Amino acid sequence: MTVVPKFNKSPWVVHFNCNSCNGCDIEFLACLTPLYDLERFGILHVGNPKHADVLVVTGSVNHRNARVLKNVYDQMPDPKVVVAMGVCASTGGIFADGYNVLGGVDKVIPVDVFVPGCPARPEAMIDGVLKGAQVLQAKHSGKTPLAEKHVLTRTPTPVDAPAVLEKGASHA
Amino acid sequence: MQIQESLIALLVLGPLVFGLMMLTGIKGILRNAVVALAGLVTIGAGVALPFYSGATAPDVGLPALITTAGNWIEPLVILTVLAIGFSIRSWPVRIMALIQLGLCGAGLIMARHESVEETKLVVDSLAMIMVLIVSVIGSLIALYGIGYMNVHEHHAPPTAASNNRFFFVLISFLGLMNGLVLVDNMKWLSIFWEGTTLCSFFLIGHDGTTEAKASARRAITINVFGGLAMSLGVFLAAHTAGSESLSVVLTKGPLILLPLGLFTLATMTKSAQLPFQSWLLGAMVAPTPVSALLHSSTMVKAGSYLILRLAPSLQGTPLAPIIAIAGAFTFVVTSALAVGQSNGKKVLAYSTIANLGLIACCAGIGTPLAYAAGVTILIYHAVSKALLFLCVGTIEQTIGSRDIEDMGGLLFKMPLTTNVAMIGMASMMMPPFGMLVGKWMAIEAAVRNPVVLILLVLGSALTIFFWAKWLGRITTTSYHETYTIETVSPWMLSVLALIGTGVVAISVCATLIYAKVIKVISLATFGMDTCPGNISILDSVHSFLGWPMYVVFGTIVLALLAGVLLFKPSQIRLPFLCGENLDLDDHSFTFRGIADTPTSAALTSYYLPLFEESKITSWGNPLAALIILSLFGVLFI
Amino acid sequence: MTIPTTPLTLVLAILVAPFFGALLSGIDRRITARAQGRMGPPILQPVYDTIKLLRKEPILLNRMQIVYAYLHLLFMIMAFLMLVFGKDSLMFLFVFAFSTLALVLGGMCVRSPYSRIGSQREIMLMVAYEPILILIMIGFYMVNNHSFLLSAPLSAARPMLISLPLLFVAFLVVLAIKLHKSPFDIATSHHAHQEIVKGITIEYSGPHLAILEIAHFYEMALLFCLIVLFWASPIWIGLLLASASFFLMTVVDNAFARLTKMWIFKFMWTSVLLLAMTNVILLYWVSK
Repeated sequence: MTVVPKFNKSPWVVHFNCNSCNGCDIEFLACLTPLYDLERFGILHVGNPKHADVLVVTGSVNHRNARVLKNVYDQMPDPKVVVAMGVCASTGGIFADGYNVLGGVDKVIPVDVFVPGCPARPEAMIDGVLKGAQVLQAKHSGKTPLAEKHVLTRTPTPVDAPAVLEKGASHA
Repeated sequence: MQIQESLIALLVLGPLVFGLMMLTGIKGILRNAVVALAGLVTIGAGVALPFYSGATAPDVGLPALITTAGNWIEPLVILTVLAIGFSIRSWPVRIMALIQLGLCGAGLIMARHESVEETKLVVDSLAMIMVLIVSVIGSLIALYGIGYMNVHEHHAPPTAASNNRFFFVLISFLGLMNGLVLVDNMKWLSIFWEGTTLCSFFLIGHDGTTEAKASARRAITINVFGGLAMSLGVFLAAHTAGSESLSVVLTKGPLILLPLGLFTLATMTKSAQLPFQSWLLGAMVAPTPVSALLHSSTMVKAGSYLILRLAPSLQGTPLAPIIAIAGAFTFVVTSALAVGQSNGKKVLAYSTIANLGLIACCAGIGTPLAYAAGVTILIYHAVSKALLFLCVGTIEQTIGSRDIEDMGGLLFKMPLTTNVAMIGMASMMMPPFGMLVGKWMAIEAAVRNPVVLILLVLGSALTIFFWAKWLGRITTTSYHETYTIETVSPWMLSVLALIGTGVVAISVCATLIYAKVIKVISLATFGMDTCPGNISILDSVHSFLGWPMYVVFGTIVLALLAGVLLFKPSQIRLPFLCGENLDLDDHSFTFRGIADTPTSAALTSYYLPLFEESKITSWGNPLAALIILSLFGVLFI
Repeated sequence: MTIPTTPLTLVLAILVAPFFGALLSGIDRRITARAQGRMGPPILQPVYDTIKLLRKEPILLNRMQIVYAYLHLLFMIMAFLMLVFGKDSLMFLFVFAFSTLALVLGGMCVRSPYSRIGSQREIMLMVAYEPILILIMIGFYMVNNHSFLLSAPLSAARPMLISLPLLFVAFLVVLAIKLHKSPFDIATSHHAHQEIVKGITIEYSGPHLAILEIAHFYEMALLFCLIVLFWASPIWIGLLLASASFFLMTVVDNAFARLTKMWIFKFMWTSVLLLAMTNVILLYWVSK
């Protein structure tokens, strides 16, 4: 037991809407309301990655937004945690077979916590962020976090997009 | 005292002699060498003068021949002005020169019966400070000019006058200024006064373009108007007081109110106070060394110097509060004008006028503390502003623009110049640099007069605004450190580095300068018998300048060290642009737009429409004119 | 009554002030939460936040950012110490102003649109409130037998609030600006989303953001002490006054929407300035 307060006491969250239908987003914003009150855990909803510890992603990743997601992730200072909110963010959800969809968030950046649900319930989301905070604590103290996936499963390039689009067109 | 006299001769006549050597048409290295020699000799003489001047007898007598010579040189100078009036076809200049000629003749006729007075030089601390500023800063600017003019020659318009004439006028200017500062005889004072006007006319018109000609014309018109006020003042004062010695005249008190008012008017035109500011703004068209010279050590400072000389005599007269208000008004209005400008030189020009206004205001308040504040600003402003003008000139010559918005990212392109410019800007507004100490003393001195106080308070807030905008723009850098070595003449770079070091040095030595110079001048001017409260205030200033100031300097050094030590290139991340960054190295913020095309977002600083030049001058100039008119109005009430 | 200038007071002042500021900030967040029917974070949450930030990876855009962050903090500490030790009030203001200016310049030296807009707005705010602060110091000067020392109010015969009621009101407005409270929080905000994200501090992160936070805690302590000066003896009334003022700020923050920069500027340079000037001119009139 140290005097210094634990690292997980103030997980600051940045919320990134990847390709979401807004269902999860609305639920996540509901967490800020008096009924759920995220702030009582010290969780702050900051608007930018530079101040954030936890990246909350909603929606599936497609060719267009993959590099944006990667960019936002890169702009977060270490230690950092990614929480994939909802089914789409976890696996691609019902959009997984879309011609432009790459899949879940873990196709682009390492994800630490997956929160299922379509949309995920606010309680589940709060639980997810707090789990993320534990991972944060673990990462800070140098322990192996719950999920170790530092290697990108797929490197997004801008060149991909037109090629994929053409392929989609030929399908039609 | 033999050495002192020869030093003074070197300071006044030396530059003239070196200047005349320019007219022989020497070229290339030889010309550079002569300019460099003139500069170094003047610096040397200026620095040596304080060491060879006795503290007890500040006056140096001159032979009567010089007084008599003055009687003949004055009409000659005025005839030159008249000739210029004809060559530029300006009726106001012609008429004013003719009136001056008339006054000169009348003065000669009326003075015929009186015995010839001995002309003397006043070499007191204030004069020596001015001589130091003129000879050191002025000469350094001339040295900078060597490098600058070589480049300027290549892309100057074909109408431009020769560089030899340029340096002739530039160097002679220093001699004239030294003379103006030291001389006590009013006839000689107005000779030097007109002389500086002539010099500035030639320097502003150097490039010979339509714009330069128009500016030179405006400069001479306004300054000859000031010169006329000066001649009239001299004529009336000599007539009333029966002496041509300024120090004698100034002891006459209420008898010479009208001449005092006229002198004040002359100082206001010279130091470009509202509504006479247009000539100094026009002077920007000249090559940079000229603007630097006019704004820092010569010309405008002649006005400030004279008003500080007048300050003790103004006390208790109805003129003093009006001068204080006029100065404070100029300070706030020109500060507001500077807010609305993106032209770097214009911002500097307005800031110069604002600070000269502050000096005039201090002279008007006229307590020992105010006087000390005025002298402080006089000293520190000269050094900082010379530096800033030279920096902007160097930047302009390199990037081809003097617009503040184009100066982003300069830190990597021109590391030395930009760093020096940052020092210069910081020294204009930041504790513990001298300018801020001066402003602080000025506000503390102004508490007796609520109107002046409120004007100063508003003005000082606006000052922060425009400096911060500029400093913020010039320190803006991209993320990858790629320093390049500047391709700028070593003359220019070394002068920049030298003055930059000087700015820091004189601020570090502020304690010493305050105790040995400023406080001494203030007490000597007002006499040791000023009320003890005033002296205790002066001492309280001193107490700040001690260790707290070193703490502030230490803090700045600490922060700079943090920047050097804590920074690792591996920590660099791109700025937040909602994830659509494009890593291009230009001034703007580039992001991926529609169809992945790079899109730039440009973001300029605030140049609020509220502070537009035409809007502010439309009410500022008439109000200022009204204040000046009331200066003469009170004399007749 | 004066505060002795000893090394002990120095160390105490430097150590206690940020915790005090953090506490004020924590209470502010708690009250805001309760006002909205939420539970709110622990009172010490700002401390946790800052310590967490200190332990994060430092990422930044360029070298100047670090310099300006440290200048901001160090000058803020210096201003605070000048206040504690009762130094010259105008010099105190200049040091205080430069501290804010360093923050502004830190926001300007990066090529980030949000940060630059935030900085521009912050300068507008500075220009808007700086004259008021100087006039308040002039008011102090008039009331305290023509002494510019900040130690003078501590030994004043009667509370300054009685002579400076209008200046106090003006100061409350300045306080709202300095604490980044609505309706004046256009440069940066404590709340999650606004049109320029986090404005002036957006490009700072990790330890450098922590430095700005700590500086803000000092700033809060400094402003709190300034209010106490308005009723310095007995000092408990001053403390109550300051607490009430901070409570008022929280209420105002939750009750107002954001204004535009020009609106703020004009409001400060007309209404509030007039208020302050009236008080100062009345003092001149009384003293004559």
